[in-house]
Amino acid sequence: MLKSKVVMITGASKGLGRALTLAFAKEGTRLAICSRTSKGLFEVRDKAVALGAEVLAVTADISLNRDVERFVAMTEEAFGKIDILINNASILGPSPMPLLLDYPEEDFAEVLRVNSISPFLVTGRVIPGMLQRNQGSIINVTSEAGNIGYAGWGAYGISKFAVEGLTETWADELSSTNVRVNMVDPGEMATDMHQLAVPDCDYQLAKPEDVVDVFLYLASEKSNGITGQRFEAQELHGRDDDGCHCI
Amino acid sequence: MVATAFDFYLPSELNASHPPERRGIRRDHVKLMVLNKKTGHVSHDQFFHLTDYLNPGDLVVMNNSRTVPAILQGGLYRGTKQIQKAVEIRLARRLSEETWDVLVVAEGVKLGDILIFSPDLTAVVTNMKAGSPLKTILFSKKGTELFNSIYALGEPIRYEYIYDKWGLDYYQTVFASHPGSVEMPSAGRAFSWELLFKLQRKGIELDFIQLHTGLSYLLDEELETSPTDNYEEYHLSEKTIEKIHKTKASGGRVIAVGTTVVRALESAGVTGTLNGVTNLYINKQFPLKMVDGIITGFHEPKASHLDMLTAFVPQDLLWNAYEEAIDHKYLWHEFGDMNLIL
Repeated sequence: MLKSKVVMITGASKGLGRALTLAFAKEGTRLAICSRTSKGLFEVRDKAVALGAEVLAVTADISLNRDVERFVAMTEEAFGKIDILINNASILGPSPMPLLLDYPEEDFAEVLRVNSISPFLVTGRVIPGMLQRNQGSIINVTSEAGNIGYAGWGAYGISKFAVEGLTETWADELSSTNVRVNMVDPGEMATDMHQLAVPDCDYQLAKPEDVVDVFLYLASEKSNGITGQRFEAQELHGRDDDGCHCI
Repeated sequence: MVATAFDFYLPSELNASHPPERRGIRRDHVKLMVLNKKTGHVSHDQFFHLTDYLNPGDLVVMNNSRTVPAILQGGLYRGTKQIQKAVEIRLARRLSEETWDVLVVAEGVKLGDILIFSPDLTAVVTNMKAGSPLKTILFSKKGTELFNSIYALGEPIRYEYIYDKWGLDYYQTVFASHPGSVEMPSAGRAFSWELLFKLQRKGIELDFIQLHTGLSYLLDEELETSPTDNYEEYHLSEKTIEKIHKTKASGGRVIAVGTTVVRALESAGVTGTLNGVTNLYINKQFPLKMVDGIITGFHEPKASHLDMLTAFVPQDLLWNAYEEAIDHKYLWHEFGDMNLIL
């Protein structure tokens, strides 16, 4: 039962974060969502509220410690706890993505900083409450490019390698507790980010709404005891793979 | 009422001005002075070895209140007239979703004066406290929206021995998860999760309570507060009380991490109230009912916290131990070394 659980989702204004927010809203959870910009975020909040959810929406750049503290403290003030954390927010970097051979250092550093520091900061801030209750589920969004290095996926793929390392390390450190840490590769989806990553995409893409089931599963008590695992959302969803080795 | 604890000379180099991590050691590798409360025997170790001094069946109770950024800067207005351009406000205690007691660092503040912190956060002075520099202010926002502004604008309280602007994160324990303290409950700062897991593996019980700390220093030596003037909000669960009774019944010891935990547990012991506000003053006359030992930092001369320690250990033994701590160059204050009294 997810009803009345408190779910925190980063990067919720569009794409997968938006789809997850609405999926959890339908389950009757309480939601704390954030995004760097308020426009899309408040629209998602209003849709989730219309579905009956209680929603705290906060404009925050979660690659900054100060904003993470503000977002999580507001959530603790509003709901008292966080049961499920989905580290979804990430940036792609320059588009179209240059080869690593051609990647500007400043962009490389920024993508690695944002995509690795953000889950590090938010998880580090949320875990203490979970450990004190000895329950909780953390789900990190990764990518196929974070598991295998592919030409053309540059800093983004490498930053997702960091996310996979964070997931495995946390899961191991917390193995004696009931706090579980897993990761989901959502596969390719029709999102703004995918449009930036593959501007001339000529194959069919899943919708973000199609991949939410595995997140609902990992948030639920059905996944108790499962930790440190990597899930491929579209494989679980039964969609035929088109053979493309992208996100 | 002025606190009555004993005085001593603390060399300034023993003020910890840097967090341990910025002095090149882990937070759990600070020094530990172990003081036997009956014999006065003192030994010296590292905090990470705390497990060596506790037994399976002992209960360690921590305060998981989280530090809020309690210093705000604003302009002071009377009507439409600006009285002072930049005034510092120190949050002292939350009274409701939109009202706080605060220290306004300015002369001549009057009832009805307005504080403007940002284009979308203001407050009005609604109460002046007789015999106290604290004022009650009503903010223009409440609840999570007020938190949003306080976190966006505020800075942590840093005392005079701190020269660098350490971020709020340095003023947190690793287990802090209930925002509300204006000063860090610092006795818990030396704990790491690694050490907490180690304690658990040895069969030592852990538990958490909340006491949201108030402002301990009002920026004026003349206005030093007594614990009886310092009201603090605390929350305990039934489960904590049950654990304490069970621990004592089976011969274990209840160890409080910090004076805040002693205050909260003993307040509940006196009043039976699990969620309330306390101004309990614990000194050598106070018969401790709930707590057997304490893990605490080193307290400055005359601090009322020292009075509380004399409820655990006779003052002469404490005095000898503090002299030894000074000789061994232990570091004082929130980023300093630790003292186990058992």
